[in-house]
Amino acid sequence: VTDLVEVETEERGDVVVARVTGELDIAGASSTGAAIGDAVPTSARALVVDFSGLDFIDSSGVAMLFGLVRRLGSRRQELRVVAPLGDPVARVLEIVEFDRAAPVHRTLEDALAGLPAGGG
Amino acid sequence: VRALPELFDVRVKARALAYLFGAGAGLGMLTLLLPHDPAVDDRGLWILAAVAVAIAGLIYLRVDRAREWQLHVVLAGGTTILHFANYFAGTSTLYPLLYTWSALYAFYFFELQLALVHMAYIGAGYAVVLAIQDPTSPAIRWLLAIGTPVIAGLLISRMLGLVRGERLEAEENARALAQNEARTRLVLDSAPDAFITLDPEGIIRSWNIAAERVFGWSAAEAIGAPMRTLVVPPEFRERHDERRIALLESADPVATAQFDVEFVRRDGSRFPAEATVSTVDVRGEMLLTGFVRDMTDRERRAEEREALVREQAARAEAERVAELVSGMQLLVDAALWHRTLDDILSDLVTRVRTVLDADASAIYLAEEDEQLRLGAASGGGGEEPEPIAFGEGFVGRVARARQPMRLEDPAVDELPYPALEELAIDSLIGVPLLAEGDVTGVLVVCAAAPRHFTAQDMDVLRLAADRVALAIDHARVYEREHRIAETLQRSLLPARLPQLPGLAVAARYRPAAAEAEVGGDWYDVIAVPGGGVGLVMGDVAGKGLAAASMVGRLRSALRAYALEGHAPARVLEQLNRLIWMEADESQMATLIYVVVDPGEGEIRWVNAGHLPALLLRDGEAPGFLEGGTSVPLGVLPFPEFEEAAVPMDPGAVVVLYTDGLVERSGENIDLGMGRLAGVVRDAPVDPEQLCDRVLGELVPRAGAADDVALLTLRSVPMGDRFRAELPAQPEALSSMRGLLRRWLRHLRASDQEIAEIVTACGEAATNAIEHAGTAGAPFEIRAGFEGREIRIAIRDFGAWRTPRGGDQGRGLSLMRALMDTVSVEPTPEGTTVRLARTVQGTDGPNGGAQ
Repeated sequence: VTDLVEVETEERGDVVVARVTGELDIAGASSTGAAIGDAVPTSARALVVDFSGLDFIDSSGVAMLFGLVRRLGSRRQELRVVAPLGDPVARVLEIVEFDRAAPVHRTLEDALAGLPAGGG
Repeated sequence: VRALPELFDVRVKARALAYLFGAGAGLGMLTLLLPHDPAVDDRGLWILAAVAVAIAGLIYLRVDRAREWQLHVVLAGGTTILHFANYFAGTSTLYPLLYTWSALYAFYFFELQLALVHMAYIGAGYAVVLAIQDPTSPAIRWLLAIGTPVIAGLLISRMLGLVRGERLEAEENARALAQNEARTRLVLDSAPDAFITLDPEGIIRSWNIAAERVFGWSAAEAIGAPMRTLVVPPEFRERHDERRIALLESADPVATAQFDVEFVRRDGSRFPAEATVSTVDVRGEMLLTGFVRDMTDRERRAEEREALVREQAARAEAERVAELVSGMQLLVDAALWHRTLDDILSDLVTRVRTVLDADASAIYLAEEDEQLRLGAASGGGGEEPEPIAFGEGFVGRVARARQPMRLEDPAVDELPYPALEELAIDSLIGVPLLAEGDVTGVLVVCAAAPRHFTAQDMDVLRLAADRVALAIDHARVYEREHRIAETLQRSLLPARLPQLPGLAVAARYRPAAAEAEVGGDWYDVIAVPGGGVGLVMGDVAGKGLAAASMVGRLRSALRAYALEGHAPARVLEQLNRLIWMEADESQMATLIYVVVDPGEGEIRWVNAGHLPALLLRDGEAPGFLEGGTSVPLGVLPFPEFEEAAVPMDPGAVVVLYTDGLVERSGENIDLGMGRLAGVVRDAPVDPEQLCDRVLGELVPRAGAADDVALLTLRSVPMGDRFRAELPAQPEALSSMRGLLRRWLRHLRASDQEIAEIVTACGEAATNAIEHAGTAGAPFEIRAGFEGREIRIAIRDFGAWRTPRGGDQGRGLSLMRALMDTVSVEPTPEGTTVRLARTVQGTDGPNGGAQ
């Protein structure tokens, strides 16, 4: 992960929350994807990728997300994305219709609601 | 994005299918041979078994050409055979069990969905068979025959899914690790000194190529062994342990120490060495890293150098004496070696003429096509004569014969050049100039009566010719190297400076007057992430090709680090490491790196031993940017680099320069710097004009004694258009976004508009970077604002590729969704993507600057 983008991950019970901050473009997309993927153990039930601190995303970042969807899908794990309404990131996810692949929530609380051990 | 790994090759799947058919047929035939229920239709089953054997054989022979879809067809065919077999065998046999084979094959080798399709076909087919035969309790039969394989199959599929997921993870981890290791290895293995890592117990963890060379132990032998017994002499082992423990226990997180020590090589020989040892915290574990420099080598080299110098001095002395005797000492002049060829030639002909008391002398140089061109002449005058072919006239004959020749009473057309006719020449000697066996020219002297050349004169001239040939050869080599170094250095300076919004930049480079060698002065201007600009001014110690190539390495490394968004101090740390690890011991460089960020209104800099930058702010006298200083690069392994910063007002001017601009021999450099500040105070603030004024005032018309590089920047009001050229690499994208955001804010676009336009441009630039082809080629962004419309063109210099997978198609659709118009113009020279969008802005129209 370059200096432009940072990933922090945290395990909340069976749910892994990955908080991505900075700017996500082709320079950092694959390393970010690898960092997130590596932080999700096979035992986890779900991954929440929190983009509320992300200032920028481009199609490489979107491709990274789709990659995560596939990778988690093969392990029967659920992926949720957090992108606040009105953020540039939410706009990009909307254009590429990312919600067809995985649900996009407005806040981290919304995303964690209904996931085991995540809400409390 | 990587797909899940296939666990099995298609050939493996095909072969397994062949075995399945063969085994099924075999088992079927066995049941027919054994006593069995007479209700069974033997003939039908024999035919089915034969068909299955034939299919098994066919697959086996075509294994190498098998396709995935063919496997599905064949497996469905197998299921069909089983349907018939169940029909022919009647309701009393256990044949329905055979469906399990098809099912398990499908679940094992195919994706879950496709396996379920095969399962559905099995279920449907068997249902039909049961309906035709009408046995008792068909539902139970059906459930047993179908349910068992489904449950077993689902278990297998789940298990394989886990295996594939884990394998993907393992592959990616392994790849990342290998990359990381390869990078580190590359750096360490290219280090000239032995590099060793020890764990806290003193066990060797890493051992680079240089260490193998220095100690004679291979990495395989050394790693895992204790350092103290492997290479430390017995009497020093205790001291070795003490030092190791002292370093590990020191409170300093990165303790460094240097020791003069003695080590034992594998062959038992001992050598003196210098060890630089540091502690490093690697994920909570304290490790010791050490550079070991073999001092015998260096001592021996120093001795050899001294011997060489002594020998050369002795030879020079002997030659000097010999030439005094022969009257040729005038030709030995150190000044000859650093002059242009033409200067050397005209000097030589005059000296030769004086020594031989001749009336005229001339040097002809051989060109590639056996033509002799007059290089220089002394005595007589007139225009430059026509070239002479080998073998023509007296001079041509000397060249062809490769022998000294004497000629008395020459005919007019034998004279080397027509102007000699007036001198009434009647005696000539010509000698060929030979370098490595090739004729490089002819030296000729002419005399008029009463002087006549003798055989002794010819010997003297022959001696002179040896010197002359050597001097010419050296001058030619020197000129060539000088040209290469100059070209190389020129190519390292930016051809065009970026035109960044709100920043005007100008630069000048003046090579030193002709006699000196090309130096290591360089500068660069880099758009850095965040919308600012990085200014670099540096000076690599040394001259010629070596310095120029060091400049090349520093420049590309600095660009890479700066574009990755590192802070100035961090960039210099990495450059220091590069120069410390890679360069030979004498390499050193000064460098000042200034980041001007008009968005933040700040100037930050780090200065590694360079002259301070000059800052001119409105209404203030020019002042030098003191502080942020450290030792030059390549002097210490881990120097401290500290950043300094001052606020940057609109209109401020920054001037960077090299010492050639302010240094005069025999003068305190403060005087020169004072002179520079004085010139800048009264100069126009426009960077181009400022550069011209500074050079005009401070650099002599004939050129300075040393190279001069000058770089000036001024923050200016932002305009309605800008153009920038950025390196076609992913790290440049962030710089481009910073520029665009700053420019769009100036145009008062709304936050959402800014975000959307920046995203669209990012996609276009990502395409440009992917198309750029050759590494290092730039891409260009031009932006303009007219009426209410933003127009942006992003151009690369590679071949357009149509979007391959979903990712690039996604980029294009993002651009279309975010902009009013998008056009892609591919040409053989490169592709231009044009984007346009009308902006509403935050508070109405804004046509102008400020």
